Amino acid sequence: MHYPWWYVPHLTAPMLIAVISVVHVLVSHYAVGGGLFLAVEVQHAYRTRDRSYLDYLRRHAAFFILLTVVFGAITGVGIWWTIGLASPLATEVLIRTFVFGWATEWVFFVIELTAALIFYYYWTRLPQKTHVAIGWIYALAAWISLVLITGITAFMVNPGGWLDRPNFWTAFFNPQFLPQTIARTGGALLLSSLYVYLHASLTIREERLRDMVAARSARPALLGAVLISLGGLGWYYFLPASAKAALASAAALNVLVVLIFALTVVVFFLLYLGPYRNPGWLSPGFAASLCLFGIAAFSTGEFIREAVRKPFVVYNVVLGNQVFPDEVPRLQQQGYLEGGVWTKPFVAERYPQVMVEEWIEGPRMLKRIDGSRLLKLPPKDRAALGEVLFQYHCNDCHAAREGYSAVGPLLRGKSRDMVLQTVQHLEAAQFFMPAWAGTPEEAELMTDYLMSISPPRLEGMRVGTRSADK
Amino acid sequence: MEPQMLIEPASAAGVPAPMWFIEFFKVLGFTLHAVPMNLWYAGLLIALWLHLGGNEHGRRFAARLLRQMPIIVAYGVNLGIVPLLFVQLGYHQFFYPATILMAWFWLAIVGLLIPAYYGVYLYAWALRDGHEGVAGWKKLVGWCAALFFIAIGFLFANGWSLMEHVQRWPELFNAHNIAGAALGTALNTGDPTLWPRWLLMFGLALGTTAVWVLVDTAWLNAGCGDEYRRWAWSFARKLYTAGMIWAAAAGAWYVFGTWPPELRATMFEYPMVILTVLTALAPGLPWLLMMTAGWCPAKRATVAAAAVAQFGVLGINAVSRQIVQNVNLRDYGDVLAQPTDVQWSPLVMFLLVFVLGLAVVGWMIAQIRRCDA
Repeated sequence: MHYPWWYVPHLTAPMLIAVISVVHVLVSHYAVGGGLFLAVEVQHAYRTRDRSYLDYLRRHAAFFILLTVVFGAITGVGIWWTIGLASPLATEVLIRTFVFGWATEWVFFVIELTAALIFYYYWTRLPQKTHVAIGWIYALAAWISLVLITGITAFMVNPGGWLDRPNFWTAFFNPQFLPQTIARTGGALLLSSLYVYLHASLTIREERLRDMVAARSARPALLGAVLISLGGLGWYYFLPASAKAALASAAALNVLVVLIFALTVVVFFLLYLGPYRNPGWLSPGFAASLCLFGIAAFSTGEFIREAVRKPFVVYNVVLGNQVFPDEVPRLQQQGYLEGGVWTKPFVAERYPQVMVEEWIEGPRMLKRIDGSRLLKLPPKDRAALGEVLFQYHCNDCHAAREGYSAVGPLLRGKSRDMVLQTVQHLEAAQFFMPAWAGTPEEAELMTDYLMSISPPRLEGMRVGTRSADK
Repeated sequence: MEPQMLIEPASAAGVPAPMWFIEFFKVLGFTLHAVPMNLWYAGLLIALWLHLGGNEHGRRFAARLLRQMPIIVAYGVNLGIVPLLFVQLGYHQFFYPATILMAWFWLAIVGLLIPAYYGVYLYAWALRDGHEGVAGWKKLVGWCAALFFIAIGFLFANGWSLMEHVQRWPELFNAHNIAGAALGTALNTGDPTLWPRWLLMFGLALGTTAVWVLVDTAWLNAGCGDEYRRWAWSFARKLYTAGMIWAAAAGAWYVFGTWPPELRATMFEYPMVILTVLTALAPGLPWLLMMTAGWCPAKRATVAAAAVAQFGVLGINAVSRQIVQNVNLRDYGDVLAQPTDVQWSPLVMFLLVFVLGLAVVGWMIAQIRRCDA
């Protein structure tokens, strides 16, 4: 409403955020845990004078740099890009609230980057103590950057006291901050071990060394799994009631929660039975399976974290359709098309017949959209304007005819009255939907459009009622 | 469709930092970003060209720059975060609509950057085995990376020019929408300022690359020998001269060929005329320093002065760009007059961490300098 809406066919623009975010976190957590792994293990290798382990760690550091400094960093930029494109109002609010959190995180990025590059490029040239110290600087800076970004992403789930006392610190130390920090620290430990296993199983020929890598990374991985579970419990405990209810009521989320629980249990037992008890099991196949299970669990967790926020991008602050909740009553009075910065000029240009001149401000005659004139438009134009409403009001979560959570198939066979009732009382139809933010006339237009894209009830279905069993 | 109607009103919540602070970090961040960005923008192309057909010294320098390139890109991307953060804070009402109108192209920057960055790594790591280590297909990947970086520059030029030319929005929105939603397929190619802006940056980038040739020779390649130093000085002079002529031509096209009369009036009136003239003349200073220095192979003081002067060229360019941006946006809202609600304690935290971060980075650099010595 405040900004132009970006139409992404089939997928919807916010799903691009989800895709890029999931890909990014799979690497960014390794950037944190992997740094800790390298610092601890290089220190150990120096202490035990294990030359072959040092050689392996150097190869691992090259892999680490290629994955985190390139792919991790650029997909992190990619998240910035997509949130600005797909969710500009929420991004505006987050940046206004957390600009100095992000700026501080950037300082730690600089430290991380410098430490990572020196750690790798000066591998044999730095004194051992300095080399290890730089490894630890990297690990600490990377973990602090995790803490900083977690404060911001946790705020989106539950802003807590910020709603009453809006300042940086109440926003940052929100109820979700601690549990998510614990869970993400655990995730960093677990994921990095899984990457280490995969890399080690593919590149180490020496059995002794491979067994040692398997054994030494098992404890942090198991600790990571425990921290994820503890953090996950805290995350659930501090969820807003609406998010808990969404988890309980949405069938897909139910399945995903069971899936994440099952995957975590599988990963835990594979870690325990494999690297912890039987390090010799670490074959490429075993490591790849472990990594895939871990990545699946992690991706599912990230998806659930995103999904439970509905209907908000930032709980009680910004709705998914880029409207502030406080704006809804005004839009219901004034009209969504009239209130939209981009919708009003669009309507004025394409449908001048619905504009009325209302008042004079300075030397200019201002025009507004007249609700009654909207209803006098030909059916084709009414549906076309309904589509405009759909793009801005609904396309953040729903594709139209086909694609992600497409509305057309959801409305299959419904009567016009039923669809109209649903549009007018969206938040009642599904509690995790935003309220209708338009006038009754606009609800009619939206209904016209929805009826034009909803397929008829399937023939041949016998459910026992005469009207339906035609 | 009146472009004024497409601007979101400034938020009553206010920006959390003084506008001078936002402008300062936006300009400083862009200047710092511009140094490595210039090196991958023009420097990569020059290095690939020298590596393909240069003489012995040219190939030697090319190999050095190509090996340094992954680190240059890493810092360039990192330093780009600063202006990006502050432009979204202070200019969100212009930044978001402009980038949404060209969303797919804007997103393509990320898609181009990842292979370009890996391409640079591939070339750099292939050079560990000497010039012969770079197989034909790896050379091709290097050239693709250079082209991708140039394409990224073009897309950025589109984004920034579209952001400050709000009058272009209605036409692009009308041509690239579906039911009032942006398709994200608009490019600002109809804007006459786009092309000279893009080309101007390439001219500046040639100059920065020329100065880097000297910086590398003076500090990072101390044992290179007099013959190589002479080549480096000669090459840097020629490259800087070419870059300066290029920048002068593109700059003249930009100022005299595309600026609207109001902007020209503002920028040529006192006191702005001082800045305009200084921006135009600034590249002359590093050029003079390079041209008047003798052939003596170890003129570190002159190189340092040229490097500082070139940083000044980029800085003054960034200041001028900022002022031109503000003047262009003046009709659509005075960004400098936005309400503020300063977050003092987080601001102080950032500044303290910034100083601490510089100290930590300084300590790490001291360690490697000791190591190199």
